[in-house]
Amino acid sequence: MEVMIEPFEFKQCISILKSTGKKAKNLRELSDVIAVISDECIFHHTYQYFLKGHILEYTNDFAHWAGESLEERALSEHLSNIDPYDFKEMNDLRNKLLNVVDDYLRKFPEPRDAMPGDEFHFNETVTLIFPVGIRAKNLAEFLTAIKYVEAGSLYYHFYEARIRLGGGTDDFSRWIEDAFGKKELAEKIRKIDPFMHNMEGIRKHLVEAVEEEVRKDMEVIDRCLTSI
Amino acid sequence: MFNEYLGISPKSDLLLLQMFGAKLNQKSFLHVNSTRAGGGVAEILQRMIPILRELGIDARWEVIEGDSRFFDITKKIHNALQGNPETISDGMWRYHFEVNRHNAEKLNLEADVVFIHDPQPIPLINFRKAGKWVWRCHIDASNPQKEVCDYLMRYCEQYDAAIFSVAKFAQAMAIDEFIILPSIDPISEKNRELTEEETMETLSKFQIPTDRPIMLQVSRFDRFKDPIGVISAYRIVKKYNDCILILAGSPATDDPEGEAVLNEVREYAENDPDVFILLLPPFSDKDINALQRTATVVLQKSLKEGFGLTVSETMWKGKPVIGGATGGIPLQIIHGVTGFLVNSVEGAAFRIRQFLNNPEMVKRMGEKGKEYVRKNFLITRQIRDYLSIWYFMEHKGKSILEL
Repeated sequence: MEVMIEPFEFKQCISILKSTGKKAKNLRELSDVIAVISDECIFHHTYQYFLKGHILEYTNDFAHWAGESLEERALSEHLSNIDPYDFKEMNDLRNKLLNVVDDYLRKFPEPRDAMPGDEFHFNETVTLIFPVGIRAKNLAEFLTAIKYVEAGSLYYHFYEARIRLGGGTDDFSRWIEDAFGKKELAEKIRKIDPFMHNMEGIRKHLVEAVEEEVRKDMEVIDRCLTSI
Repeated sequence: MFNEYLGISPKSDLLLLQMFGAKLNQKSFLHVNSTRAGGGVAEILQRMIPILRELGIDARWEVIEGDSRFFDITKKIHNALQGNPETISDGMWRYHFEVNRHNAEKLNLEADVVFIHDPQPIPLINFRKAGKWVWRCHIDASNPQKEVCDYLMRYCEQYDAAIFSVAKFAQAMAIDEFIILPSIDPISEKNRELTEEETMETLSKFQIPTDRPIMLQVSRFDRFKDPIGVISAYRIVKKYNDCILILAGSPATDDPEGEAVLNEVREYAENDPDVFILLLPPFSDKDINALQRTATVVLQKSLKEGFGLTVSETMWKGKPVIGGATGGIPLQIIHGVTGFLVNSVEGAAFRIRQFLNNPEMVKRMGEKGKEYVRKNFLITRQIRDYLSIWYFMEHKGKSILEL
């Protein structure tokens, strides 16, 4: 009997920025606001950094600001090294950010203020999720889809899913494991480091991993044919 | 009209617009501003209203009327929000309110959602009958004059939400404040694809030689756009690369300094036959389009800037831009990826030379810039964001929604 496979439904999310009206012109103010600002704001400036077209110099907005606006390279390196997925609670991430900034303020001379107009603005977002009208029933369709879906869709299934699902997993690897039992491929996808690539880099690695698997499956069919 | 964006705007934006069209079918969406023509707000509304209607939303656009006294006052309010010292007396504020009261009597302000654009019609909130009201501020209010800002806040906080173009323009307020970047229309006269003949027509009209690389800056003759700095950068470059410079801009009739700046620029150019100072009449959109498409290097070397949408207009044509690191320019230029941000004449000259000597780099950055604009700065994205805000206002308190 043929096993019914739940198709993979591609979704996408867009985020609309909301200002909290709060800003910081130096590290002390930054630390003061981080201490009291909403979880949504911390979430936006860390996890959602990957939704923006960014250069792979930093991994969150705080590091970006410290590096570009205050020109405090060492601090920006410390901040960039914080992995938000290491923390179960948003407050733990908030405390880590505060520790790094406060520790830096203790060890180094106080940096200058940011230039007027270059302050750190604390924002949060509202997020809208919608289906993009693409469904994959097998790995070959899935491979075609991940080549063409927009980056916002990859973000939703690869980055946002980590927060939604927890446990360092994502929608792609979960579906591949649940639907086809392909543990090795799922593990390969889970191992793609979200910090080391921009969205197109993630796409490239996904395509490579899935393409290899599809090729392997095809070769099995080839072997069957030769043995007839 | 909606179909014209197929193959141009991101598919997901168009899909989302259609989904919103189904959700908000026959609901009414009113926009109010103070001018039917001229200026970026009217330009976008002219295109946006028919698209919204095509999606099945009952979109309307009303324009308030006022006399010259009213517009003198609102110009002062505008300038004060941009940080200029202005005095608005109690009598002026009263007149501002009274003109709006007269307009409220004449206009049909009933709609499910009402967007009030900029400070001119902001007092209309006092005449709200129903629906959700949003104040849409297009002005750089990052450093406003406090008294004027405080007065406007009385109106502002009666709205359900406010929208600003850049996060740093937003003020601390007790209402939701959304950030929506402005946009360009890819099929307008200023941005549509041109034929070879159309481009050549513009070049021959202005007698621009095509035998050497062209440096271009399109902006009004305003000191904040630094036209003198652009000529200085051109002179540094000229020592290494033979090129011509075009400074193109419309005469700024509402700017008393415009003529003085133009004269300074002419004097500084010293009749250099390779410097073309073009005074374009209003509605020269096709000519600007042709110049941007022909130029080898495009600059927006502003010292102070609101958003600077000319950067996105240029990037849409596949040209990377060298821009001043100010206002909204850094939101459009990712340094080293879609162009270069500069802070001095020398910096600009260096980057121009890099572009002139590396056509491959220009091509690569130009392609990335065009894609960046496609994703972030097209009108369809702006409409999508407006409708998203509407949807979120209908589900107040939620920060994640699924369609």
